[in-house]
Amino acid sequence: MAEELKITQGVKCACEAAIIGLYACAGGSNVGQMANKVAVELTKQGKGKIMCTVGIGGNVPGIIKSTEGTDEIVAIDGCPLLCAKKSLERAGFTVDKGIVITELGMKKGGSLDLQESDVNEILVKVEDALTN
Amino acid sequence: MKIEILGSGCAKCKKTKELVEQAVAELGIDAEVVKVEDINAALDYGVMITPAVVIDGDVKIAGKVPTIEKVKEWLS
Repeated sequence: MAEELKITQGVKCACEAAIIGLYACAGGSNVGQMANKVAVELTKQGKGKIMCTVGIGGNVPGIIKSTEGTDEIVAIDGCPLLCAKKSLERAGFTVDKGIVITELGMKKGGSLDLQESDVNEILVKVEDALTN
Repeated sequence: MKIEILGSGCAKCKKTKELVEQAVAELGIDAEVVKVEDINAALDYGVMITPAVVIDGDVKIAGKVPTIEKVKEWLS
């Protein structure tokens, strides 16, 4: 319950296990939205902490400092344009792992409304990619 | 000078506050050190990982306990 509350409130304490920062591109396509949804679900499962990727591009001090405080940085991009990964690298961060949703079998284009079955399928693939 | 320590009251947050207070005392500067446990305050600064140190509205560190040398550098 306490963990659930912290996640809802959006701040994670560094006293807990290693902090894996999840940076989704959250772009304007189905795969961009899937990237964000995956980051949300992984956060709910306690497998990482969703962060504000746009704040990296915006050079927002609190978000930059929070990123410096992570133990691992994971970029979750929707497509090969790799906007999340490139934003992080441009800000001087090293991306430890990069996930690309289209490489997991989801085609770019189509409805922005995600199907639950697609989310579950991609989520399993992302979890596999993160553990390998 | 206002120094805010953002955190939930965990061990690292307490340690951070102790270090900041020690640095302030050793430098002999006039500063108000405030422990902020309101998570919304952290979010307002864009801080997503605690502990964090904010000096006069400027986020100096998040997710780590700073060294006392680093705190003194910020205060000087």
